[in-house]
Amino acid sequence: MKLKRQFLYHARPLALAALLVIAVLGVWYFVAPTPPAPGRDLADIPFYKLPFGADDAGNPRPFWPSRMVTASGRMADAARLPSSADCASCHRTEFEEWAGSLHAAAGRDRVYEATVEANKVIGRHGPEQARFCEGCHAPGELLSGRTNRFASVPPQDALTEGISCISCHTATHADPIAGNGALTIDFDRAEREADGPQGAALLADPRAHLAAFGAPDTVALVKSADLCGGCHTEIYDESMSRAAVPQDVQSTYVEWRDSWYGRNNITCQDCHMAADPAAQVMRLREGKAQKPDRYSHRFIGANVVMADTRLDDALMVLRGGFLPGVGPELNDVTLKEQFRQTEAFLRTAAGLELRKAEVDAAGLHLAIAVQNLGAGHNLPTGVNDQKHLELEVSLTDASGAEIFRSGGDRPGLVGADTVEAVRWIEDFIGTEGQAIPDHLTFRTAAVVWQRDAIAPRGEDVVHYDIPIAVGARGPFRLQARLLYRIARPELLLSSLRIDMAVPSFPLAELSTQIQGPNL
Amino acid sequence: MRHIFLLVASSLCAALPAGAAEPSEAEAEGLAAVRNFTLEHNAALVAEAEKLQAATSAYAALISGQGGDYEAAWSAKGPELAAAVAAIRKQWLATSNEYETIEGIVAGLPAMVKYDLILDAGNPGGQPEDVAEYDLPLPDGTVLERPGNLFHAITEPLMWGTDDTHVKLKADLDGDGKTGAGEVLFDANLAVGATGALVFWAKALETDMKAWEPGRNDAFTAVVTMTPTVGDYFAEWKDSHLAGRLGAAFVARSRLADVTGIMGGCQRMYVDAVSPVLAEGGDTALDTSIRGGFDELLALVAETRAREEAGETFGAEEADALAAESQDIAERIVAQVLQAAAKYDVQIEG
Repeated sequence: MKLKRQFLYHARPLALAALLVIAVLGVWYFVAPTPPAPGRDLADIPFYKLPFGADDAGNPRPFWPSRMVTASGRMADAARLPSSADCASCHRTEFEEWAGSLHAAAGRDRVYEATVEANKVIGRHGPEQARFCEGCHAPGELLSGRTNRFASVPPQDALTEGISCISCHTATHADPIAGNGALTIDFDRAEREADGPQGAALLADPRAHLAAFGAPDTVALVKSADLCGGCHTEIYDESMSRAAVPQDVQSTYVEWRDSWYGRNNITCQDCHMAADPAAQVMRLREGKAQKPDRYSHRFIGANVVMADTRLDDALMVLRGGFLPGVGPELNDVTLKEQFRQTEAFLRTAAGLELRKAEVDAAGLHLAIAVQNLGAGHNLPTGVNDQKHLELEVSLTDASGAEIFRSGGDRPGLVGADTVEAVRWIEDFIGTEGQAIPDHLTFRTAAVVWQRDAIAPRGEDVVHYDIPIAVGARGPFRLQARLLYRIARPELLLSSLRIDMAVPSFPLAELSTQIQGPNL
Repeated sequence: MRHIFLLVASSLCAALPAGAAEPSEAEAEGLAAVRNFTLEHNAALVAEAEKLQAATSAYAALISGQGGDYEAAWSAKGPELAAAVAAIRKQWLATSNEYETIEGIVAGLPAMVKYDLILDAGNPGGQPEDVAEYDLPLPDGTVLERPGNLFHAITEPLMWGTDDTHVKLKADLDGDGKTGAGEVLFDANLAVGATGALVFWAKALETDMKAWEPGRNDAFTAVVTMTPTVGDYFAEWKDSHLAGRLGAAFVARSRLADVTGIMGGCQRMYVDAVSPVLAEGGDTALDTSIRGGFDELLALVAETRAREEAGETFGAEEADALAAESQDIAERIVAQVLQAAAKYDVQIEG
């Protein structure tokens, strides 16, 4: 009875309050400012240049020679794009993993930036030709119109993060065969979502967030190798290089597609985004075509130097400084883990086997099989005028004296960096036939492999005929190492003005004794 | 690369109107102030360069007094030569200071950019960009073709002994019993020729600067072209803090001194010549934001320079962060100036 009286006493003010709230919400609905339409018109980007003109249909090509486009065809509004640091307020684990990745540093790493600047100088179509590079390295910069001689769009955190959260989680279409950044990015979704409720209100009703970043087309794409192929396929043509006929520079997607991995639907993500990539590869090497138990956003790859925390603060200079929302402590922790996983991952990729060791009057005849055991694409793959493999072979006699050397970091009888060293590397060639060792894409006319890369689950047998001097005494000790380097020294010299050898990482090693007659 | 654009633009300048609209009184006064400021320091540059030429001539006379034999000259006139080298270095800094004060303006003007390449910023021939287009005759009759800019490619490495090619004798200039870095007698022939060229090109700049009719396009172009170069200059400063770098220039003093001069010139150009356009158009908020950006940029440079002069050393990571911060501020400034340029129908030349 008491409760009922109290209810009656309060019912009228409660009802009035409810009516008032409804009225306010109703009024707000009509008077609240409507968020501006996402994106910006091309005409709203002052001084934006279009050196490549229109496409066949007469539409402007604001991002060419990158094939990346926005879903709406408009420019992105940089000021409204959320940075990955914004995403971190809820998706902390994913952010911390990503912060150590190469994707996070893709648009800011020092060697990349310097190389783009060097290319801009020689571009026939002006500095805007660098849109080719920025599409895959800094999609936010490209799509918001900052890749321009005069950048009238102010810098924003979200644009400095390379392949950021929204770069993938708003992607709606990919063409992995065309490559060169052939992705459609719907940044409008991110802009619209940013206009809606955030924080606790978003958690209470995440539908708009899901619609923006978890739309069915995007979810399907982020699970697919097609998304990766949009950028990990690179073909030079006359838009961005001097190639009269298209030159395949990077064909990682096709290498994967035509492999055991592609046939078994083991995608890029299944290895490079596995929580334990090395363990995942070892399972695959055993023939178990399984998906990993958990995925991570580290995107573990082969560039061990850009995660090498032993470089101390030079590493952060190389990586272009701290990312928004990442302090020294987090940076150190995530990079150490990145480094550990990268080293472990690299050790699963390759193997060396001695197939033949015969001695005759002419000397010692060796056959060493270099095996691609764990990579779901060729070894090496990627930007292979820089990333390359080299086989180091050393032979010592019974006295311990080195009687033969090919390749490797140490000077020897044949020596490092000689033509005798066996390398799997592309050469960029200019129009005059000159070698281009420092990744000047805009000057490159042809791309030639010194020795073809090794297909997944394939091998390349390397032969050595080693004359043995009279008096050399067996048994001989053969040592071989398959070395991986991420760049040529010429690139470091031109981009960083540092004259130094590029550290190598041993993917596989072989050490064996060869019995032989005393000659 | 900025120079390539400016050089191309310079050929178009004569055909373009000086500004999109008739300048207001405030804008005209601002443009005149920039011109007068530049001429004042240009005159000082000529005067200081002439003193530098005199100093190198005195040095050369000491050498030639011993038949051009540097070792004999050092034996006979050691104290005089040490004093002469010190005087040359001091005078070089005074001369360079005058140019750095106006470099932000000179290098930003399409019609004047060739002088920046010759005096301070150009590369030697054979480089893909920004070549200083001049030849350097020397007293002995040699002509150096496209040798690079006079301040940092020739005279600074020469006079501070960082270019081994032109070191004639290692000498204990400071009398401490050792020959440390930079204690050298350098090529007098090149010194006299290069300082003579400094005088010649400083006067040529002055002649063209006197004929310059400043316009709105010039002012906007200078600001948007030169302000973003802060990142390049900061990077050169930063590089000096990293081990293993190659380079002989910017040893006489910190590159931050140049940054101060260049960015100070950009700020002057904005405040005197561009800001009146925005003020008259009612864009007070934008104007305030841009002015604030310049204040922030100059404060960052000044603070860093003060720390350096106080003996503080910078790790690579911190130097990198400072460079990135300065570049970020500069790019914000430029984006806003470009938005204003579009609104006022200004031609950005390049």
